[in-house]
Amino acid sequence: MNRRSLLRWICRAIASVSAAVVAVPAVRFLLHPLLRRQKNDAIVRRLAPLDDLPVGKPQSFPILGTRQDAWTTYEEEVLGRVWIVRRSNSETSPEQAQVEAFTAICPHLGCAIDWDKAHDHFLCPCHRAVFDSNGQPAADADLGYKNPTPRGMDALECRVVQDAETETWWVEVEFQRFEFGLTTQQALT
Amino acid sequence: MLRELLNSIDTRVGYRALLAPIRRRVLPDGPRWGYATAATLLWMLAVEVVTGLLLMTVYSPSLTTAWASVHYIEQLPGGAFIRGLHYFASQAIIVLFALHLVRVLLSGAFRAPRELIWITGLILLPLTIAWAVTGNPLSGSQKAYAQIEVEGNIIASTPLIGPLARTVLLGGKQVGHLTLTHLNFLHVALIPLLAGMFLALHIQQIYKHGASAYPTNGKKKKSAPYWPFQSIRNLSVFAVAFGIVALAAWHYGAPLEAPADPEFHNIPRPEWYFLSLFELRAYFSGPNEYIATVVVPTVALLVLLGMPLIDRVCPPRLSTAIRFFTVFGGLLAIGGLTGMSVQRDMHSEEFQAAKHEEQSLARRAHVLAVAKGIPPEGPISLLRNDPKTQGPILFERHCAACHSHTDADGKGIAAEESTAPNLHGFATRAWLAGWFDAEKIKSTEYFGGTEFAEGEMVGFVDDTLTDLDEDDQQALANLITALSAKAELPGQKASDEQAAEKGEIKAGIAALLETFSCIDCHKYGDDDPEAGAPDLTGYGSRDWLIGMIRDPAHSRFYGENNDRMPSFAPDRVNRENNQLDDRSLALIADWLRGDWYEPLGEATDQPHE
Repeated sequence: MNRRSLLRWICRAIASVSAAVVAVPAVRFLLHPLLRRQKNDAIVRRLAPLDDLPVGKPQSFPILGTRQDAWTTYEEEVLGRVWIVRRSNSETSPEQAQVEAFTAICPHLGCAIDWDKAHDHFLCPCHRAVFDSNGQPAADADLGYKNPTPRGMDALECRVVQDAETETWWVEVEFQRFEFGLTTQQALT
Repeated sequence: MLRELLNSIDTRVGYRALLAPIRRRVLPDGPRWGYATAATLLWMLAVEVVTGLLLMTVYSPSLTTAWASVHYIEQLPGGAFIRGLHYFASQAIIVLFALHLVRVLLSGAFRAPRELIWITGLILLPLTIAWAVTGNPLSGSQKAYAQIEVEGNIIASTPLIGPLARTVLLGGKQVGHLTLTHLNFLHVALIPLLAGMFLALHIQQIYKHGASAYPTNGKKKKSAPYWPFQSIRNLSVFAVAFGIVALAAWHYGAPLEAPADPEFHNIPRPEWYFLSLFELRAYFSGPNEYIATVVVPTVALLVLLGMPLIDRVCPPRLSTAIRFFTVFGGLLAIGGLTGMSVQRDMHSEEFQAAKHEEQSLARRAHVLAVAKGIPPEGPISLLRNDPKTQGPILFERHCAACHSHTDADGKGIAAEESTAPNLHGFATRAWLAGWFDAEKIKSTEYFGGTEFAEGEMVGFVDDTLTDLDEDDQQALANLITALSAKAELPGQKASDEQAAEKGEIKAGIAALLETFSCIDCHKYGDDDPEAGAPDLTGYGSRDWLIGMIRDPAHSRFYGENNDRMPSFAPDRVNRENNQLDDRSLALIADWLRGDWYEPLGEATDQPHE
């Protein structure tokens, strides 16, 4: 190797090392949204006293919580809404009461699902996905068009609990987000 | 393989022909270390561009988000290092620019026909400084705010157009959201475009006229290709400069002061490369200040611009003398003024104290931002709602005329004339014990400066507590423990729980009610309209203390017996009539009670325990 090509290689080495000093942190910096683990822990909330819920009519409740958006912390933000349907009437004891909860986030593309009173079914206004009162997708034949949703409404863990102090029976829901577009319900990671 | 690929690309693109002037460049007099300043500047600029683009992916320019997004960058992987590189490389560019200018000036490289190189280079000088100046305040920190204010006013001091230019730059009469969007626009769009244009012209001219000739004393030097013989010199210098920048970025990082808040007192200083002008300004007062801040730099730039003309008109010896005088005189003036300014600040206790204060505010803001996150209203509320920060300020403003807040060594906030109890360690066991000590209660640390020095409490302590038997001494100790526990001080939580387990609190309350019959004068647990002394229910708790500051003349506290303590917020209906708002009341109370956020595992400097 002559002097000239040795110098060339030293030049290339200096340039490469310098570039790497910038490039390595640059890649980590740019990809930080991937590196940072976003937690999707279930948010447990008591939403309503059991006695306040009408039988068979879905009721909508907001889920409040802290939301972190990059550098801003929002306290008490609406993180999502849930639909609660009380199945059993007041003759059933609270311990036996049947209550179901669904997230209002549509499993198709994430719009907010509404209760369509006129037709007694759930309707997502964005792409007209329709679900019956049990959260199951309506059949294409009944709709006259293809129901865009890949699966039924996402059910949330839901139970009836008694408040230790007031002895009131409350409906408690575990709110979570799920992946869109899949045929099965999978927690968002 | 690679060669074939490159060949086929070149056949289509023709990049080799484009790059030929660079690849085939020959230096007729051979390579020189002196030439290396130019390429080092270019590479350093490349570092700035890359790190700047990276920072742009997160940075958000507005008064509510600037500091928050910069603080966020500092927490991201690689973020602090990239910001540090950007910060230190900008300073390296200023130093390298100065070296480059000195080299060109001394070697006479500006002579005909190279004037355009000289002129475009000199236009880049103020552009580069403006580039740095518009970048520094983007962090939205306390220092940034002060720098914008001062630089805005410097612009405004220019006769005629100054005030208009300032309003346009700030986006109004005052610093606001638009100030940051404007500075950001200048820093990342307009100045880079202008600098890019002049830089392109500068480099094109260098290629047209070739490398500047040095005086060779008649010796003919051998020519050599630029690549790699000059490149190795360029890159060696760059490696050293970049190494220093990277080490500084790694070790120190870029500073981030507390979020901007005009409420906080600080003594702003410009960046080090402006200290000479800052010092010069001190010798021109009032309306003449613009001579230092505007006229002197402009004249200096004009003299440099005129250098090719001076060189042509004057005889060679005189011209050389002028050049050397400009360089060394200039460096001496800048260095001397900078040194004087640094010297003055180093010996100024006021400045050092302000700097120390600034650093502790910055640390506190960082601790709060990490622990609690930044609320939507922006980082300014971090320190505004922090008892540890606001407590001393509010106490000094509203309470310290009568009350001291000094520890056993006399450190803290001392009242000019201590006419009311020292509130350091308020409601702690040690502090409460003083009330039951015949000597202490009469001292100015407690009731000594008040009407109560002759009052019933002092009389009671004198008569009843001076000669206690052992049982009663224990009862008194329990009483103090119990009363202090009622305050629920966060700093005393553990020892309060221990005392409760041992039954000391129960015993203490019994002593309060029976042994010492405190309830003959004080209320406890019920509303006794006859009691003229302060309520002992929840004594020293947050609610109690806020109530006490709000209205000591209320029947719950001293009632008609109140001495001189003003009622700071007695009006609960029309709160605007009050001397203190509810937020300030709570901040003072929390601070006196040592109730503020401290990160776990770190040494706390809370006054209690």
